[in-house]
Order: sequence, then structure tokens, then C-alpha cells
Amino acid sequence: MTTVLETHGIEMVFRNGDEETRVLTGIDLTLDKGELAALQGASGSGKSTLLSIIGLLLRPTAGSLTISGERVDDLSEKARARFRNRRLGFVLQFHHLLPDFTAMENVAFPAAAPAGGISREMRDRARDLLTRVGLEDRIDFPATRLSGGQKQRVAIARALMNRPDLIVADEPTGNLDRESADRVLDLMREVNRQDGATFLICTHDEDVAARCSRRLTLRDGRLASNVNGSDRRPDRE
Amino acid sequence: MFAFKVARRYLLSNPSQTLLLIAGVALGVTVFVFITALIAGLAVRLTEQVTGNSAHITLEPPIRIARVLRGPDLPVESVALVSTFQRQQIRDWPMVVDLLRSNPAVSAISPQISGSAFLVKGEAVASVSIIGVEPQGIDAISRITPDIIDGDGELGADGLLIGVRMAENLGLGAGQSILLRTERGVERQLTVRGVFRTGIQSLDERVAFLSLQTARPLFVLPEGVTNIEVKLKEPDNARATARFLAEATGLRATPWQEKNLNLEDALEAQGRTGTMIQVFSLISIVIGVSSALVLSAYRRRPEIGIMRAFGVPGGFILWAFLLQGLLIGLTGALIGCATGYGLCLWLERVTGADGLAVLPIAKEQGGYVAALVLTTLGAVIASLLPARSASKVDPLEAIQQ
Repeated sequence: MTTVLETHGIEMVFRNGDEETRVLTGIDLTLDKGELAALQGASGSGKSTLLSIIGLLLRPTAGSLTISGERVDDLSEKARARFRNRRLGFVLQFHHLLPDFTAMENVAFPAAAPAGGISREMRDRARDLLTRVGLEDRIDFPATRLSGGQKQRVAIARALMNRPDLIVADEPTGNLDRESADRVLDLMREVNRQDGATFLICTHDEDVAARCSRRLTLRDGRLASNVNGSDRRPDRE
Repeated sequence: MFAFKVARRYLLSNPSQTLLLIAGVALGVTVFVFITALIAGLAVRLTEQVTGNSAHITLEPPIRIARVLRGPDLPVESVALVSTFQRQQIRDWPMVVDLLRSNPAVSAISPQISGSAFLVKGEAVASVSIIGVEPQGIDAISRITPDIIDGDGELGADGLLIGVRMAENLGLGAGQSILLRTERGVERQLTVRGVFRTGIQSLDERVAFLSLQTARPLFVLPEGVTNIEVKLKEPDNARATARFLAEATGLRATPWQEKNLNLEDALEAQGRTGTMIQVFSLISIVIGVSSALVLSAYRRRPEIGIMRAFGVPGGFILWAFLLQGLLIGLTGALIGCATGYGLCLWLERVTGADGLAVLPIAKEQGGYVAALVLTTLGAVIASLLPARSASKVDPLEAIQQ
């Protein structure tokens, strides 16, 4: 089994003048390729901070972080940005789509911006991804004309555009009604099963966590539990 | 270029705001063009008014100044005195005229005998500046013949042309005779052959023309002339040409600018005022574009944040905002140049009672290239601040916003 994510002794301390706030302590975590892991914890437990560190949006105070075999915690800002672009995908509570672009252009954006334009291959892949998330009839719709659930599905397609090794999702269903939330979660599970994509989903929602293959729980900045969920691992299906 | 597409989409996403922004830039450029054309037109009109009826360069004999002489063989203090026994004149003027004729910068030449005199009619006496000219060259420097309102303007052997104001003051008309008494004490009865109205008070009130041959005995100059008046094809080149002529002839060459220092000061002050207005127009454009893009960058922080989270390089976002500035500046400048040209074209046709344009606009000197380049550059510079701030958005902060 290929290890996608490996953290050792991740610590995070925020300093405000003389005041120190310890948010994470000694996080050791491993995710294998194809896992669909839920990261849970009460508000303030540090799960968003951990997700930001794993997503290379925040540097830990201490500890090491390895993604797809590459040590990434000491990379320069430019190298981190390049790594995020090629190896990581993001799905956030708010979709943050580019309102002035179509669904297809939004999906292609992570590949198109560094390349300087949307190539035919990018266009085809974006169309394929939108078809997979059930939006084949919304491909050329402006992002502003999509519903909340549709926007989140576009955001998932966008996260998959560059075939990332790891997709980090922060409350991806937190802003959706039950029906839309279920569709989005089903979609992530399907992508996880079919593509073997690795997901780390930060959620408050018990239903979401229950449908993940693994549940990680943070308590007071420490990893309190690390157990398999109700679902079997996709690669063992 | 994908950044260009992003910039265009951002601008088109809020058409009314973009239109207002472009309209603001265009207005600033219109003011820039109008002021530039007006200042240039004013300079042209004032220069034409000053140089139109006067020489661009005056050649005169060099000034003789008494000077102190020093040297080992000389007594303690010696002074070279200026002799006043000989009249100051240009004796070899035909040679100088030939030299001037061969100069391509020269458009007209008028050798003259100038001096002061009195016109006496009964008890009425008026001081007058006499200009003795070659009859065929009377219009070489000042346009006199076309402005004759009374008489035929033929100078002949005893003819005199006077201005309308002088004619009124002395109660003279064409065909009447009058006594001329020159500064040399010579008197002669002359006949008024023409009365001119140039519209220039100094000419119409104080100047009288007669032929060079008539002037010679009156001013006791049997051979030479007192001055040679020169007109140039390009009046602005008068200084350089005067320097050249002074060296070539050994005469004193005075360009028109030195005779009209006040005009030069006024033109410079006018130019500075124009520059100030142009600078303020540009500053207002820069502030307008910058503030609009700062707001846009702030409004778009979350989406910029997600771009940054996806690893889109800061340089890409920088370009997207710089290109917005470029598009706004270029479009506004093009519209402003066209509007400014149209405004100048219209104002050029609005004429007053005298047939002259109410505002002396030189529409071809509207500084269009400068307006286009400076405005576009200014708008790009204006977008630097928001572009830099957008490119440095912390993705985490922006996403959590």
C-alpha cells in the first residue's frame, strides 16, 4: 500500500506577543492511497489548523510532513505553491468559484493558470469531470447560474483537475441542504472508489464521518482516536 | 494569455463600474489633449501676432563700447574710445543680402534705413519712426500693401505710407502733402500715397514707410543701410540662425525672442500652467484607477485566495490586475484622444466677430501620443499597488474571510 500522507510530531503554536496558544501537539498520522478519512473534533480542537498544515497553507511550528514520498514542510513558498497545484486538491465549505467564468473554465483553472491558457486536453478533461459530477448539461453555464449543490460539485471537479495525490476537504457539505450534501458526499465516495483518490475530510457532520472509511478525532490538539469507519477501504472492496 | 482573459472577464463582470472608470480616464485625457492643444495654439497665435508683422532676426552694425586696455607696453591705464565721427551703418549690405539669399532658412530679406523723424502739418507735429525700404520689398517683413485702406500705396520718389491712427491724428489722407523733418535735421515735403490699417497699434500710430532712395538723403546715408530685417521659414529657429549669421557677417544679429523677452516669459508661464494641469489630470487618472482596482482586489480576496490555494502563481494574479489597469488606461486614453480631437475640431470652428477662432486651438498639437503613452503607463502604475496586494493574498486568510 502506497503511503500518501505521513506526519510526525506536528506541533502548532500561535504567538501573539508574549502570549502563546498551543493548537496542535505531536500529531503522527499516516494516510494510504485510496483512503477516505474523516477528521473530527469539537470547535477549537485544531482540525482546521491541521488541515491547513496538510494542505501546505500553513507551516507547522515543529514536526515533519511528507506527501507522496516528498518532504514538504521545509519547501519554499514558491515550491509549496507548485506542489499544491500539482499534487493537492481542495474542497472548501464555500465553493469560492470564480463568478465570471463558466463551470468548465472554473474546473480547468488550476491547470490553465500556470500553463497560460486552456488547452484542448484541459477542456476535454474538465468536460469529463463535469460529466462525472453530473453536470454535463451545465458545462458552459456561468458559475453564478448554478445552485449551491451544483457549485460544490464543480468545486470537487476542480479539485480533481490536476489528478492530485491528496484532496483536503474542509466541511464540504457544511453549507448545503441534506439532499445536496448527500449528493456531494456520494460523489466524493464514488471518486474515491473509482479513481482511488485519497480524501481527508474535516467535518462536524456525523453522517459524513460515518460514511468515511476512517475516522480521526482530535481533542485539545492531540489525535485522540484513529479508527476505521463503517465503510470498508475502497481498495479492499 | 490566460491572465489577459481573467483581466477582461473581471472588467466585464461589472460593466457599469468599468464604463464609469473608463469614462473618468477618458475625461482626464480629453482635458489633457484640450489643454495641450490650447497652450500650443495660444503660443502659435501669440508668436504669430508678434512675429507676423516684424522681423525674426535684425542685423545691425556691432555695438562699439569704450573699453579699458591693459598690457606690459601700455601706460598704467589706457582706454580705447568709441569714435562718433562715423555713422554706424552696414556699408556692404548687398553682400550680406546675397549671403542671406543663399541661406535656405531665410524666407524674406529687407535692407532698411531706419530713424526718427517728425511729421509736421501746420501746428500739428507727430514723432514718427521712419522705415526706408526697397519699394518692391515693402511687404517682405510687415504686410502693408494688403492693408492699405486709402490711396494706391505706390512709394515713388516722394511717397509716404502712414498708419491709420497717425492719419487720424494729423488729419491726413491719401494725396495730401506733409513736411518730414528727420533726426539729421533734413526736411522734405512728401506726399501721402497710402494709409494702412494693420490692427497693430505701434505700426498704425507711429510708423511711416518711404523708399530706400528717398530715405538716403533724409538720413544722410548715401551708401549703407542701418539694418537688415530677416524673416525665417521657422521662427522658432531664430536664435540658432542669428548666432550663425552673426558669425558669418560680423554684424549684431538679434533674434525676435530677445526683443520680446516678456512674450517668452509669458509663453513659458503658460507652458508651465499647461504642464501642471496635465500632471493633475494624470494624477486624478492614477488615483481613480488605483482606488477602483484596490476595491476590486479586496472584493475578490476569497476567489484570489482559492486561486492561491490551488497554487496559481502570484505572478499570474499580478498580471491579471496589471492588465486590467492597462486595458482601462488604453481604452480610456483612446476614447479621450478621440473626444479631445473632436472637441478641438469643434472649438476651431467657433469663430468670433473678427473671423478668428474664439479659442486658438492647435488640434494637431494635442499631445495625443504623450496622452496615450502617459495615461496607459499611469494606469498600469496605478494598478501596481492593488496588483501587488492581490498577488500576496494569504490563501488561508482569504478563504476564511
